[in-house]
Amino acid sequence: MGVYLPVGPQHPIHPEATLIKLKVEGEYVVDADIDASFVHRGIEKALERKTYVQGLFLAERICGICNAAHTICYSINIEGLAGIEAPKRAQWLRLIVEELARVSSHLLWLGLLAHSIGFESLFMLAFRDREVVLDLMEEITGGRVTTGYNVIGGVRRDIDTATAQKMKSSLAQLKERVLKYKRLLEEDPIVRARTVGVGYLSTSEARELLAVGPVARASAVSYDVRVDDPYLVHEEVPFNPVVYDTCDAWGRAMVRVDEILESIGMVTYALDKAPSGEIRARVPPVFKPPPGENVARVEAPRGELLHYVRSDGTEKPYRYKVRTPTLANLAAAIAMLRSQGDKVVHIADVPVIFGSIDPCICCTARVLVVDEKGSVKETFLENLPAGRRGR
Amino acid sequence: MISKLVQVFVYPGILYMVALAFFLEWLDRKLVAKLQNRVGPHYAGPYGLLQPLADFIKLLTKESIVPSGADGLLFTLCPVMAFIVVTTAVSFVPMTSTQGLLSTEGDAVAVLALITIYLLLVYTAGASSPSRYSLVGAVRAAHMLLGFELPLMLSCLGVIASAGSFKLSEIAAQGVWRVFGLHALGFAIFLIAAEAELDRLPFDIPEAEQEIVSGWLVEYSSWRLALLRLTKDMELLLFSGLATTLFLGGPAGPAPPSAENLLYPLYFLAKTAFVVFLLSLIRASSARIRLDQFVILCWRYLVPASFAYLALTVWVV
Amino acid sequence: MALIFDVLSNLLRKRATVLYPEERRKEPGTFRGVLGFDRNLCVGCGLCWRVCPASAIEASKDERGARPFFRLEKCIYCYLCVEVCPRKAIKASTQRAPVVDDKSRLKVS
Repeated sequence: MGVYLPVGPQHPIHPEATLIKLKVEGEYVVDADIDASFVHRGIEKALERKTYVQGLFLAERICGICNAAHTICYSINIEGLAGIEAPKRAQWLRLIVEELARVSSHLLWLGLLAHSIGFESLFMLAFRDREVVLDLMEEITGGRVTTGYNVIGGVRRDIDTATAQKMKSSLAQLKERVLKYKRLLEEDPIVRARTVGVGYLSTSEARELLAVGPVARASAVSYDVRVDDPYLVHEEVPFNPVVYDTCDAWGRAMVRVDEILESIGMVTYALDKAPSGEIRARVPPVFKPPPGENVARVEAPRGELLHYVRSDGTEKPYRYKVRTPTLANLAAAIAMLRSQGDKVVHIADVPVIFGSIDPCICCTARVLVVDEKGSVKETFLENLPAGRRGR
Repeated sequence: MISKLVQVFVYPGILYMVALAFFLEWLDRKLVAKLQNRVGPHYAGPYGLLQPLADFIKLLTKESIVPSGADGLLFTLCPVMAFIVVTTAVSFVPMTSTQGLLSTEGDAVAVLALITIYLLLVYTAGASSPSRYSLVGAVRAAHMLLGFELPLMLSCLGVIASAGSFKLSEIAAQGVWRVFGLHALGFAIFLIAAEAELDRLPFDIPEAEQEIVSGWLVEYSSWRLALLRLTKDMELLLFSGLATTLFLGGPAGPAPPSAENLLYPLYFLAKTAFVVFLLSLIRASSARIRLDQFVILCWRYLVPASFAYLALTVWVV
Repeated sequence: MALIFDVLSNLLRKRATVLYPEERRKEPGTFRGVLGFDRNLCVGCGLCWRVCPASAIEASKDERGARPFFRLEKCIYCYLCVEVCPRKAIKASTQRAPVVDDKSRLKVS
């Protein structure tokens, strides 16, 4: 029993085209399924046709919001494969831009969460505050969204002391605003009524369904790539991974808001402590890395992002694979959307639940090859030579 | 005869009401924009005053589509009847003098009955469209009826009891401000119930854009949609006019008898604008509440409060 | 409801909207904008059209030899060509690309 109600592929709540197939009885959602294939662009195939340096700019455009994460992951990946060492100051600058991009992405998500519960004013105010971060990005890198900052071998522009001062004062003001939003999330009765208890994902389910990022951390699964497998200079910058145990959409919102505060702290620390020196190792525009494979993992704003490359000695990669965090969270999203027992999901909860996993479907749509003949080759991270992992 | 026609159709008749409705929509949009640090309507006319009229005309030029699964007669009849019902209700509200365009004994009850008929038309409009989204929206609208009708009626009844008359013209002629002390409770209940009736945030559940894409309105286009949107604006005029008459003393104010015809409409406009400001403030600072939470809110808090208000007004007066 | 005081204080603040095109926002001056090209410095080495990720530069000839031909509608403003040119013939700027409905106006001469 139940009526089929499609939410999408064109719907005011979706920033991209996604189809959520709901089976609905009255106001209650009985069954759900997600089809995320509408934004497939053939990126992995296109990456096989470009040289490594050209591929960086294509990898940047896999997603507009997570573009810092994708370029950092790609650069670390190829640097590990080809044995290129990025200078120390470059790694600090990369960390600064990565954390700034995290602030921008989480502020955008806060606006989208507000929009999905109908809170237009918070949406406008969050995007107004995000402008501050985007202006800072433009000042450092030259672009607001597609920053073109990371290259294989380092970064392209430096941050001078005047810009650093400006960044610190703008971020201090932003921190005040974000503390206000945190208080709003904790105290506003209507926001709490719409998010507390909504989209329940127990800890065991989060582990089973391999949720990553804030979705897992709000269900008391403490998994953060910056802590478990540090890259860049994350071992030298102090921060606390944010974990909540409420297992609902409110927990995820609080995790992200706290992460904004942590990231602002990290950027301020890094601006003071970054060593001076070179920012870029010279790399020829067309180079041929030795044949082999490499994997790089990065904590994107949405979770654990993984890039895999296999080269056969030519100037273009043989195979490049991108596994985005939203792909890992989709199974958790489907589990959250179904009503089971006394966990009841209303139609009105569907935008909140789907938005709380922070879906970035354009990152996610890849062709999945299912090998039925049984000749699957497994490679474990420990077996890759440590020098090739890329740091 | 000619003067009667001018009264009915131009001033203070339908044209005046439509112009006021557009003005209040402009005021609402501009206020919400300013509260959100934006600009609001800007380009159509001075300060964007002609924007609602421009939207109305734009909708009239679109293609009129009747979905093939829709109940043809009901689909067309609902917007027309909704407009007629709400305009009739607005004509009872005294806007230019202490006497409304229509006035009869017991017209406060007539206005409340017409409001309920409008809500039934909302349900019919949603149910006559073949889309699932519109059915969900229509059912939600009917669900909400169960919640806010009673507090709305009871808060009006409290004022009627304290004024001692069922006739809106007599209540307006008294010119008493009922916003302080006990009546503040009634004013607050009326404002919240008005937000729910008008389908505005935080209660725009039947038209939740993020969940069911405009809900019961989703299949309407062109002149039917223009008429439905005009009906919404007239409803805004109706409720703010009702609030002005019942709680803020109507169009009466200090004026020498010769200038009454000029000053009373202006007083009405000012008081109505104040009520619209309050409604816009609530709208700009709230999120949308869920349907089951709304019904719980109504029956747990609003209904007892409105019963208490009615009982206290009858007892005190 | 907890936002009500912030929202009311917005009435006293200046609007955040920039009424384009009458007003422009203040730019920091570091934007990666439209390319400029100095023909006298170019030697026709061909590095720029080999390195462009978006295939926005074409190899062409004029009376002085080989030279690049830029298509701004395909350019992604990554500035790889600016970095790789050995004679610094391709110039950076902070101007944004013009909005035109005639592609021939998007040439860099």
